Parts: sequence; structure tokens; C-alpha cells
Amino acid sequence: MGSELRDGVASPGLSGEDFARFREFYYRKTGNWFDEAKRYYVDKRVLARMGITGCDSFREYFVRLRFDADGSELQALINSMTVNETYFFREEYQFQCLVRSMLPEIAGRKRPGDTIRIWSLPCSSGEEVYSLAFYLLEYWPQVDDYDVELIGSDIDTAALDRAREGIYDRRPVHALPEAVLRRYFRRLPDGRHQVLESIRDSVRLTRVNLQDPLETRAYRGFDVVFCRNLLIYFDDAARRRAAETLFDALKPGGYICLGHSEFMSRISSLFRPARFPEAIVYQKPEEADQ
Amino acid sequence: MTRVLVVDDAQTVRLYHRELLEQDGFQVEEAVNGLEALERLAGTTYDLLLVDVNMPRMDGYTLVRHVRENSSDPGVPVIMVTTEGAATDREQALSAGANLHVVKPVQPEALLLQVRLMSGALS
Amino acid sequence: MPLVRRDADDNLPGEERRENQRDRAGLLEQLQDPRPAARRRAAREIAGDATAMDAICNALEIETDAGSRHAMLTALLVTGGERAKARLLQLLRSEDAGLRNGAIEVLQGMPGLAGEYMDGLLSDPDSDVRIFAVNILESLRHQRVPEWLQQVLQNDDHVNVCAAAVDVLTEAGGPECLPALEALPQRFPDEPFVDFAVRTAVRRIQGPGGSHGQ
Repeated sequence: MGSELRDGVASPGLSGEDFARFREFYYRKTGNWFDEAKRYYVDKRVLARMGITGCDSFREYFVRLRFDADGSELQALINSMTVNETYFFREEYQFQCLVRSMLPEIAGRKRPGDTIRIWSLPCSSGEEVYSLAFYLLEYWPQVDDYDVELIGSDIDTAALDRAREGIYDRRPVHALPEAVLRRYFRRLPDGRHQVLESIRDSVRLTRVNLQDPLETRAYRGFDVVFCRNLLIYFDDAARRRAAETLFDALKPGGYICLGHSEFMSRISSLFRPARFPEAIVYQKPEEADQ
Repeated sequence: MTRVLVVDDAQTVRLYHRELLEQDGFQVEEAVNGLEALERLAGTTYDLLLVDVNMPRMDGYTLVRHVRENSSDPGVPVIMVTTEGAATDREQALSAGANLHVVKPVQPEALLLQVRLMSGALS
Repeated sequence: MPLVRRDADDNLPGEERRENQRDRAGLLEQLQDPRPAARRRAAREIAGDATAMDAICNALEIETDAGSRHAMLTALLVTGGERAKARLLQLLRSEDAGLRNGAIEVLQGMPGLAGEYMDGLLSDPDSDVRIFAVNILESLRHQRVPEWLQQVLQNDDHVNVCAAAVDVLTEAGGPECLPALEALPQRFPDEPFVDFAVRTAVRRIQGPGGSHGQ
């Protein structure tokens, strides 16, 4: 409080100029862009980190953030900015984009009976990869014409175990339409919901470290990759390598979906933006040689 | 309203061009590199692109080649802004597909005149 | 069955295992492979081998495929070392804008190495190289960044080098940079852009109210 008074700042947040400075920097470092609506959210977290690091002013904190040699404060800040709540049908517009735009185009390049391969990573406790399964079965009319392979991967084996079990309490299923909840889950005696065995059995779950080219070298031939809110956790070198892994994993012309506020233009030059009515996604160039 | 996309990694340059052009009645959007420009161009069209050369992720020449070869609006007028007046810069800008090449730092009146002419704002 | 699961083996999704990791000589040869995907893979797998830096740079200089170029630059970044740095610095003089900017991005990730060479770069006779040096400073985590930028403002005769430094200070500058910033427009009185950029930077650094406010 004292520092805010000293700086002549009326409200307990970042000034407009500070916010502008911070957001440019953060965008360049992480590829994540905060619009004005996120201002309060950003303020709160920056102020919290200032408190933890004992910085009296934004200026002091920003110098520390920008110049600290090992980047540990940036990492701590990113962690506090990205407390990831994962739930079924999160950022549903991307699933809509998948069934209305991406898959029809991909199917146009294939013949009935061909395989369409989709990768969800990090899949954590399974919400995203099962959402994909429900979405395809419910909302993609051509689903019966193709063999769809769904693969979820994560580095965390405990999360993968939870995904295999497929048991969720009320919170992660809150955004699901009632009909979807009834069709694809069974209700356990304790009130929780478990994904039906037939769905769990149709999804492949694997442990993989995206940073290890030997571990990822066999992940090839994907038509679509969902990689939302992961790249932000990596430093520049790791992000470049991760982008290369995703590039290798995709077929030419395949699509990658990032998180809502992630922009590939700040992350990697490997992909080209592809705008559909529902979303901007990124595409491996058609001419890229596998 | 005539729409201009300013593509430059330097925020002071983007702000300068924005203020200059907005005062003259243009609508201005910004991109920080060639890829972000492609992200914007994937969803809309502009009357003119004002493009820097040296940018991270995708440079200006590569951007202009993409616009000319793969975009939905390959004929959009492009002014490239380079740091030196060297013949190679001019040559590279024009062979990439730019319509005009100007040297930094831009002189505001001269730039405005070119933008008005090439964007069709005078017609 | 629309959703299918193929458990072909323990850890790979329906994919034959590829050849085992190649030996170094094989990878070096693969950097010349006519298929871009093979060159890309070679660059990724040779990353970390400091003795391969010249081979990677030789391949990089003639590489036309964007994906392979990306992987070669990444290999230089993750490997680092004197040789990688020396070759990257040469690339700043390349006629190829993509290569120049790729080199800048990689050098930004090498704080210790790039810092050592900064004084030399900032006094290079080629003003474009000095601009690239300032661009490297933009993302370099190094305590001397503000000091280097102030030196540019005070000493560099080229307006575009100074303008690049002002732009970086808009984000990275502190109050100690204000005198050098505020003096700059007098050095370039005929450049309205310099005046504008300096005012922008000063406003960002001072924050609301500015040093003369409240």
C-alpha cells in the first residue's frame, strides 16, 4: 500500500503504461496475449508475485523479471498466470471448429474407411481427449465413415492413471449438455461420474515427453493435434523443439489447435494460420515433406 | 474507411504509423511480424500493407511473397520499409512483390502521400 | 466402429519403429539428404553435439526448406558454444533476411555468449549489424542491457540504430536511461520519428503522472 501511494497510483493495480509494458513483454516471451478484459486477472497475479519477491514497485519487479539470469521468476509468474482448470468441453468453439470445418476438409482428402488420427496433449486426467470422443460421436455426421484414432498423451503418469479410470466429480462435467452426460457416463453410487468403458477402451493413452525426440519420433501421421496451454510452460529452446515435434507429428496439411490466448505467430514460424468461421488454427504447410 | 495493416516488430514504429495514419482518417491495425500479419490477413482484407523487413519468426520479404502467392488478396498494395537505401534492399523488396520501397526513418508527409495514393484513399 | 484403438506395441500408436539412432557420421551425411524431412530429423538428433556446429552451419547457409532451417537453428541454440556463436554472428551479415532474423532469435537465447561480443557488435562499421545487435539486446537476459543501450543513444551516429535502442528501452528502460533518451532528439532534430519514439519511451518509463507529476 505504501508503495502505491508513493507512486501516486490511485487504484491498487498496474497503471495503463505498466500494463502495456508488461503485456508486450509477456507476449514476446510466451506467445500469450492478454486483452483488456484480463487486466484485473493480470494485475492480481503480478501484485501477488511482487509481494512474494519483496518488490515494492512494478518497476522493481519488472527489472527483476526481465533481467534475472536463470529466468526463474518468469517461470514462477507463468505458473501463477496459468492455473489450468480443465473440464469437459472447455473452449468448445475449437471442438465445433473440428467437426464443422477441419474434419470435413480432412475427410475430403481421404476415402471412406481411411483412418483419421487425432492427438490430445497434454491430456492430463482425460477431459480433453474424452471431450473429443463425445464431440465426434455426437456432432460429426461422417464419423461412421472413417476409423478415428484418438490418442491422449501426458508426461505425468498419475494423471494418465486418472484418465484411464475416467471418474470425475461434478465440477469437470458442469459444461456438458445433460444428454451427453447421460449417454457417455455412468453415475457411481457416491455421485461421481465415470466415462463408459466402451469410450475409455476406444481411446489410447500414452506417456510421452514432448522434449525428447527419441520418445516422440514414432508419433507421426496425425491429422489434428490439440496442444492447448502447454507451450507457455517452456523456455525458448524447449518451445522451438516442441513446435518441431508437433510439426513432425502432423501430416502435411494437418491442423494444430492452441489455447484460447496462445498465438503461434510468437511461438514458431513452422505453421501457417488457417482461419475458419469458428476459430483460428494452425496448419502444417501442404508442401512440407514428410 | 480505408484500412491499413502496419507490420513491424518495433512498437514505437507501429504507434507512430498508427497515429500518423489515423490522424489522416485511415483505420489502422498492427502486426508484430509476418506470421501475425498472415493471421490477420486470413480473416480480413486491407487496402494497404506497410511492412518492415527485419522481424522475428517471419521477415517482411517472406510475408510479401506469401501474400502474393498464397493469400486470398494477392493484389493488395504493399509498401516496404527498410533501414538502408542500399540497392539490394530495394531490389529484394520489389522482387518479393512490394509495390514501393521507402527508407527509414520515414518522413511523415512523404509517407502519407504514398499511402493515400496507393491505398486508393484519393480516388 | 467409428472410434478405433490400435495398440500395435507398448508405446507407439500404430507405427512401425524407425531405424535406431544413427551414428554421428550418418547424421552428418543426412544433413545433405535431398528430402527436407530427413535433414530436419538429422538436425534434431545431432543437437547437443558441439563438434557438429560447422556442419550444421554449412547446411544452414544453403538450406531452403523452412522446417529444416528451423531445426538447424534450434540445434545451434540448444548446443551453444563458441563455434555456434561465431557462425551465428557471421549470419547477421547474410543477404537472406530470414537467416539474419533466425540468427538474431537464436543469439537472444545465448545471454552469456552474446554478451561477451556485444561491445564489438555495437561498434561494427555496418549500421545494420549494429541494429541487429540492439535487436539481440531486446530479449537478452543480461544486467548490462540498459547500459549498452544508453551507450548507443549517446554515441551512435546512425539514426536507425538509435531508434532501435529507443524502442527496446520503451520496454526495458528504467529511470537511469531518461537523460540519454531526452537528449536524443537534439542529436537528430530533423527526424520527427525520433522525437515521437523518445516521448513514447519516456512516458512508459515514467508511468502515470511522470517524474514531474504528483
